[in-house]
Amino acid sequence: MILSSIGAIDRTNRLKLIGLSLLAALLLSSIGYQAYSANRDFALVLSVFATRFLGIFVEAVPFLLLGSITSGLIETFIKSDDIMRYLPRNRLGAAIGGAFLGLVFPVCECGVVPVARRLFKKGTPVSLGIAFLLAAPFMNPIVFASTYIAFGFGPVFIGRIIVTILVAVTVGVVVGSFAQRSAVLKPISLGGAHDDHAHHDHEAPSTRAKLMGALGIAGDEFFEMGRFLIFGSILAALMQTLVPQESLLALGTGPVLSVVFMQILAYVLSVCSTVDSFLALAFVNTFTAGAIVSFLSFGPMVDIKSTLMFTGVFRRRIVLYLVLLPFVMNLLAGTVINLILGYV
Amino acid sequence: MTAARHKREEPVDISAWAKSLILFGMGIYLTLLILTGNLDNYINQRFAWLVVVGALLFFVLGLTALNRSLNPERSDHDHHHHDHDHHHHYHITWDILLVVAFPLLLAVLIPSRSLGIEAVNGGVSLNPVGVAGVTRSPLDRNILDWLREFDRASTPAQFNGTPVDVIGFVYREPIHPENGFMLARFTMSCCVADAFPIGMPVIADDAGEYAAGGWLRLRGELKASTFGADILPVVFADSIERIDEPRQPYLYP
Repeated sequence: MILSSIGAIDRTNRLKLIGLSLLAALLLSSIGYQAYSANRDFALVLSVFATRFLGIFVEAVPFLLLGSITSGLIETFIKSDDIMRYLPRNRLGAAIGGAFLGLVFPVCECGVVPVARRLFKKGTPVSLGIAFLLAAPFMNPIVFASTYIAFGFGPVFIGRIIVTILVAVTVGVVVGSFAQRSAVLKPISLGGAHDDHAHHDHEAPSTRAKLMGALGIAGDEFFEMGRFLIFGSILAALMQTLVPQESLLALGTGPVLSVVFMQILAYVLSVCSTVDSFLALAFVNTFTAGAIVSFLSFGPMVDIKSTLMFTGVFRRRIVLYLVLLPFVMNLLAGTVINLILGYV
Repeated sequence: MTAARHKREEPVDISAWAKSLILFGMGIYLTLLILTGNLDNYINQRFAWLVVVGALLFFVLGLTALNRSLNPERSDHDHHHHDHDHHHHYHITWDILLVVAFPLLLAVLIPSRSLGIEAVNGGVSLNPVGVAGVTRSPLDRNILDWLREFDRASTPAQFNGTPVDVIGFVYREPIHPENGFMLARFTMSCCVADAFPIGMPVIADDAGEYAAGGWLRLRGELKASTFGADILPVVFADSIERIDEPRQPYLYP
């Protein structure tokens, strides 16, 4: 079942990969054009681009590795039903519990979909599952650490926590109030007889074999996710190198427009939540604080690649809610932050 | 699905080797950055330990991948317990490998450099970055310290006669006076993504002799003066010395 959904992702991703490669080629040739028209040495412009790109990559890659290894460990070691027993069952309590569940399951936005699906199959309340799905990619120790290193303990860090919890809990409660569990998952994902981890029971591999398995998965995860980090870093570095600051400021200072732009960018870039803080840094000098917070809270909830994964697991109507509700609520939150901070 | 797997059987094996090669390559690249000191071109040295962790993890994952390529039967045995992870093995295709190898390609082909004058996009700022720390004595202050002092001051004339000893690179704009330029540095909080150029105005008789982008050590005295459109504390240079780019080119707020 999950194989078929992953297959669909892969086809689309390959198309996207070709598209993005073309885009990258186009933008790389624009380095040449920029050098030519502004009378700058091509080698120097290229070298500035390389420094900017490698800087983002080098700072981000340790977090991507930690995220990949955690994902591998969860896959091989953790059973979700043990933890489920301790969580509240009423709608609001469950949603709040779900928003914090990432502290126990430290997953990024790619790892969260299979885990959430497993939780739903175990009979978890809808509000809990949805809140977990939206919040966990940020609400976990690894992403706390990368956000802290990029921004310190300041308005961006605190804003990201508050907005993420508010949006995740609200969407969880809203969707939970009208949707039965059977109306959330695709019927194909509901079939309870087959369980992912059922095989653990008839064969218990040694801890060492499990650890090797986890590290193997981690290596593959690194490649799967690494390309999104690399495309995102290329775009951010090109933008900083080529787009004149005045143009960025024109786009980045509107209290609403800047938020819309950054959310669309977050959706398109699909960068892993473990490293998105470092990309956001590229915009701190030109964009409003609300736009930075919304980029960081919306991106981990929904992006191109997680939407594709959603469609493999959830019913179409639910996917629509999962994309639109967070988009609108984050936009609102970002705008309110901008108004409070006085960007008008 | 089965058909698709059969078709890909051949390249999968080679890509497994390519995978370990890239993972080791990344580990070696990060290690070299640390050993050569080139890491200072990219990230705040406060976070160098992260890169050490990254290099170690790359070697661990590289060894695991290598072990898998060397003992394929072993991983066949593993099939049982993570059946649903098959997609992992079959979907690391050549296009993905190429994309992930891109940083290594850049690192090998383009010599490592810090951000300099070519990276200034939209002007050098006169405003300090971050919050003021401890106040240092005038001769120990760098450009960032000075801008913070200026920011706190009530009038530019307050610094008249104070001695200055700073390093930075030359930055010029058409609005600058004939005998003046700005001495600039990039600040960096986390990594080059947030690098931001700041600078202080300088007046010197021989200002025109110094090439834009060149690094200077500059000694002089402050005096409130017109520079561009505003009255600012300006460094009137007594001695200017051409120097090499410092080992740590950025200022850490």
